[in-house]
Amino acid sequence: MKRKLLALLMVSAMTVSLMGCGSAAATTAGSAGAAGSGASAGTAASGSTQAAASASDLNVMLETPVESLDPQQATDGTSFEIIADYTDGLMQMDADGKSVPAIAESYDVSDDGLTYTFHLRKDAKWSNGDPVTAGDFVFGWQRAVDPTVASEYAYMLSDIGQVKNAAEIIAGKEDKSKLGVTAVDDNTLKVELAAPVSYFASLMYFPTFYPVNEKFFNTCADTYGTSPETTLSDGAFVLDSYEPAATQFHLTKNADYYDASRVKLAGLNYQVIQDSQQALMSYQTGALDMTLVNGEQVDQVKDDPAFKAVGAGYLWYVSPNIAKVPELANLNIRMAMTMAIDRESIATGVLKDGSTPTFTAVPPQFATGPDGSDFSADQKKFADVCTFDATKAADYWKKGLTELGKSSITLNMTVDADDAPQKVAQVLKEEWEQELPGLTVNLVVEPKKQRVQDMQDGNFQLGLTRWGPDYADPMTYLGMWVTGNSNNYGLWSNKDFDSIIAECTTGDLAMDAQGRWTKLYDAEKLVMDNAVIFPIYTQCNAEMVSTSVTGVEFHPVALNRVYKDAVKSN
Amino acid sequence: MKKYILKRIVTSVFTLLAILLILFILMQLMPGSPFNDEKLNNDQRAALYAKYGLNQPVIIQFFKYVFNMLRGDFGVSYNISKNTPIAQLIQSRLPISIAIGGAAVALGAFVGLILGVTAALWHDTVWDTVATIISVIGVSVPSYVFALALSYQFGFQWRLFPMLFSPQQMVASSVLPSISLSMFTMASIARFTRSEMLEVLGSDYMLLAESKGISGPALIFRHALRNALIPIITVLAPLIVDLMTGSLVVEKIFAIPGVGSLLVNAIQSNDYNVVIALSFIYSAMYIIIMLAVDILYGVIDPRIRLSKSEA
Amino acid sequence: MKKNAQTADMTAYVPTAADFCLKNNAGEIAIDNNFAAQSFWKEVFIRYFRKVSAVFGLVMIILISVMAVTGPGMNKYSYSEQNLLQKNLAPRVHALEKLGIFDGSENMHTTTGTKKINYYTENKLDNVYYWFGSDNFGRDIWTRTWSGARVSLIIAVAAAVIDMIIGMSYGLISGYFGGRVDMVMQRILEIVNGIPRLVIVTLLLLILKPGMVTIIIALMLTEWVGMSRIARAEMLKLKEQEFVLASRTLGAGSFFIIFREVLPNIIGPIITQVMFSIPTAIFTEAFLSFVGLGIPVPQCSLGSLISEGFNSFTTHPYQIVPPIIVMALLMLSFNLAADGLREALDPKLKEV
Repeated sequence: MKRKLLALLMVSAMTVSLMGCGSAAATTAGSAGAAGSGASAGTAASGSTQAAASASDLNVMLETPVESLDPQQATDGTSFEIIADYTDGLMQMDADGKSVPAIAESYDVSDDGLTYTFHLRKDAKWSNGDPVTAGDFVFGWQRAVDPTVASEYAYMLSDIGQVKNAAEIIAGKEDKSKLGVTAVDDNTLKVELAAPVSYFASLMYFPTFYPVNEKFFNTCADTYGTSPETTLSDGAFVLDSYEPAATQFHLTKNADYYDASRVKLAGLNYQVIQDSQQALMSYQTGALDMTLVNGEQVDQVKDDPAFKAVGAGYLWYVSPNIAKVPELANLNIRMAMTMAIDRESIATGVLKDGSTPTFTAVPPQFATGPDGSDFSADQKKFADVCTFDATKAADYWKKGLTELGKSSITLNMTVDADDAPQKVAQVLKEEWEQELPGLTVNLVVEPKKQRVQDMQDGNFQLGLTRWGPDYADPMTYLGMWVTGNSNNYGLWSNKDFDSIIAECTTGDLAMDAQGRWTKLYDAEKLVMDNAVIFPIYTQCNAEMVSTSVTGVEFHPVALNRVYKDAVKSN
Repeated sequence: MKKYILKRIVTSVFTLLAILLILFILMQLMPGSPFNDEKLNNDQRAALYAKYGLNQPVIIQFFKYVFNMLRGDFGVSYNISKNTPIAQLIQSRLPISIAIGGAAVALGAFVGLILGVTAALWHDTVWDTVATIISVIGVSVPSYVFALALSYQFGFQWRLFPMLFSPQQMVASSVLPSISLSMFTMASIARFTRSEMLEVLGSDYMLLAESKGISGPALIFRHALRNALIPIITVLAPLIVDLMTGSLVVEKIFAIPGVGSLLVNAIQSNDYNVVIALSFIYSAMYIIIMLAVDILYGVIDPRIRLSKSEA
Repeated sequence: MKKNAQTADMTAYVPTAADFCLKNNAGEIAIDNNFAAQSFWKEVFIRYFRKVSAVFGLVMIILISVMAVTGPGMNKYSYSEQNLLQKNLAPRVHALEKLGIFDGSENMHTTTGTKKINYYTENKLDNVYYWFGSDNFGRDIWTRTWSGARVSLIIAVAAAVIDMIIGMSYGLISGYFGGRVDMVMQRILEIVNGIPRLVIVTLLLLILKPGMVTIIIALMLTEWVGMSRIARAEMLKLKEQEFVLASRTLGAGSFFIIFREVLPNIIGPIITQVMFSIPTAIFTEAFLSFVGLGIPVPQCSLGSLISEGFNSFTTHPYQIVPPIIVMALLMLSFNLAADGLREALDPKLKEV
């Protein structure tokens, strides 16, 4: 009896282990098949996702999976890129990042700058056949400010877009129907602003302002944007295979797109790869047409014509906690620290991915002024307060220490647990400790979410943090240092600065483009003179774009990559 | 026996509930919040908390969660895939993780058994040392390094297997990840088999079998290995569950849409519901497997059955 | 007739000399190794040193520990000192460079082809020697490897010892008292074990400030369960034995019996388990480093060095080799030493 049981047990154990893999493989194959057939349900070309992929698809590597395909809920660059692949807003970006008409054929601005009237084109269609109407925009925008939706990017309408009543609706004081956006008729959208916003039209390519078809939305309700069946396209491509947080998904060219003749690609094939070495190898085997490489790999690819450094827009800076740390409240100490940083060697020696050393509070290459010049093209304009100068730094340091009556200082710097910030922080620590005798810097490495919370709570001494521009105007950076702004982690406060910013946003200068531009320089100078932040570098992504691919547009703001004009030759 | 099994099942249910409660408390202790972007201000965060009911006391959240769970609702993701029901998120990933983990365990167990038996039969010889070295090297090189090396050699240089996981080539693209994952199982099984085999080989009943004239493969496989295998099952069972969560580095490298990387991402981005649901599934699998092993063991070995029913 | 005689020969069995020899006797039994007058530990000692692999393991452990203490001081570099002008230099050793190996050159596999480069000659660094090369901050990998080995060893040994103390006490108490106490204690264990380790460890590392002590606590929290299982099983085996009964009749208290009577008898398996849990701890620490929860930079452990080197695996493979080899040797040595110890301690195994 016992023997038989044993034999039985052994046999069953073995079959279980064998079956375990066999049946599981079968289930996954089954589910993949189900997903595939689901994806193609309703379309004539049925079959798996594989069938939809073709040789003329562009194979693109993504670093992180999509967080959300709901235009009003999405917050990350990957999600924005995918949403914009298949959705058009009122405006779109051209190759230089300027806003040009998309769904809106044209728009009028009232003289006081408070009313925008968009005239929508009549041939734009959703992929279910419905026309794209002004009502779709009203619905989308109301969702963005609806407190029950609780969109993280609602501030795009309130603080940044200054759409009338947006702030009140977000705070729950008004009904969402009071939002200053109305559909005059199916093809005319009227937007009322609380204050003139000079860059308002350029916000319209931002996915938070994208339209949502109300009728379709109501049929999906909670599942909106979680599968190809619950998304609707009015853009260049149509999503045809996707699962939440998928590592592989696919879009096909939208034959019904109003500008379909412009789109040359047959489709887009996205592959999420978190390991950059694996990604580069896949690129080399030809499985990918575009991939990111990390700084270490740049040595491997820098001679390759396919290698590109693409601006990512993020300014990385160190924020000193001015309000809570007495040592950092001392201006000489802050000056010493910012002047002891060798930004050049951090960018070119350690990061190597094309990131540029930055000596201004507003990073270069994203904001163009009324005269067409780059706001921060001149990186030497604050050379007297922000440059690498060991002797000056030591002088400031000595002065600061005497003022404080101390001979040594120990500071903690809070850093993200990611690769690049840790690298930069290690160099900063080393440089500071070398140039400034008596300074000890301890690194506190935390996951990003926690680091952000700690900084928001004021629970830090020095913090290495970043900011990506939300719109192409210096205000996206300068607006942060206003007294009481939630991103002003160091709680710096300056009345002159506050009044300049107020003047430029809602005051007299809001409509005077040139005057505003000059005033913004003054504001930036105040930030730099007071060493409110120590700017370090502007992030670039080192990207490989196969030489057979042309026409992919890269932007540091809003939509990082646009494929409408991309061509892949075989 | 029946009474014992029933008792174990009831305690298991309470254990699971206790684990769930602890997970809830742990989530509260977790620093940071799921809604923590540079771009969010306090009002918006409060609105988000209200939307997901996170502003309520833990105990109420707990009971609500248990109630919803019984109806099959694990809540929605806050970050990883916003507002996606957890069930939908896990549904397609769990089978992939189990498939690759299962293949890895099967492979690791098979190779481990061979190494272990070899080491025990030729105990204290060069073969023993070689088997030990192979199994220890397998476990001392971190699986992510091993995975990348495999991928570089077999995927990139020789182009034998795809470097990245793809559902269209399920089997071929699972080979490299399964091998990289199997190393730990292989080493544990090899070590355990070796010591069990040594013990069995030195036992009186082996002497008896040998004196009865049984020799060669029959002696080793029918008598020795069979008896050594029973305790190995107890080691193997938790390994299967561990592979589910331990596979994250390999998942990251081969771009496998599995649950391991999901769990780590969820922990790092404070996606409470995903952490709780995955941890709970893990715990449930663990407890069920342990329960099954215990019961099986009781059925096989009367000594254990007796001592357990006494307790 | 002749035939009959033959069959008679067959039936009447004549014993041969071979029948009076023991089977599987390779000549060992004839030698008396028992040293009857010697103590148990002396015997263990002798058995241990008879095994080559065990001795090798022990020697390697000692060697690596010595290097971990002295290695970082053997050249002029410190583990955190950066020199951005001398980064990513391949290994270069004084004497060996003349042989054409370790001369500071490396093959760079670029997307446009493979080329051999030597940064030392390119940058005119004639008198610069990095024995294991330098990393992407220009830090000496030799120094970092050995200080990493030091950190890893400290973490692993401390975690193993602490988890031995906690796990052992827990298991012994649970096993000795049995009944309801055992029931409750085992359910607690089940709950602790039921929560994925990754969740507990990462949460703990998030709540406490990162650092060596936190990692030790995290490792200890997950490893003590195995230890307590072994201690409990041993206790269940021993507690019904006569010497325990004798001690009890003499009026000994429970804790006296547990820690003074039973404990010395199970110290063997416990030490073996500690030896096995050290490599596990080293490995878990390496995993934590990979997830980004390891020792805070610029300090390093073997695990954090491996995960740093991992990023340069395809560009500068020499950066990951030293920490991996040291870690593999360390884990192999601990396993061999533990195997040897277990066999030396277990009289049943030695006879095989």
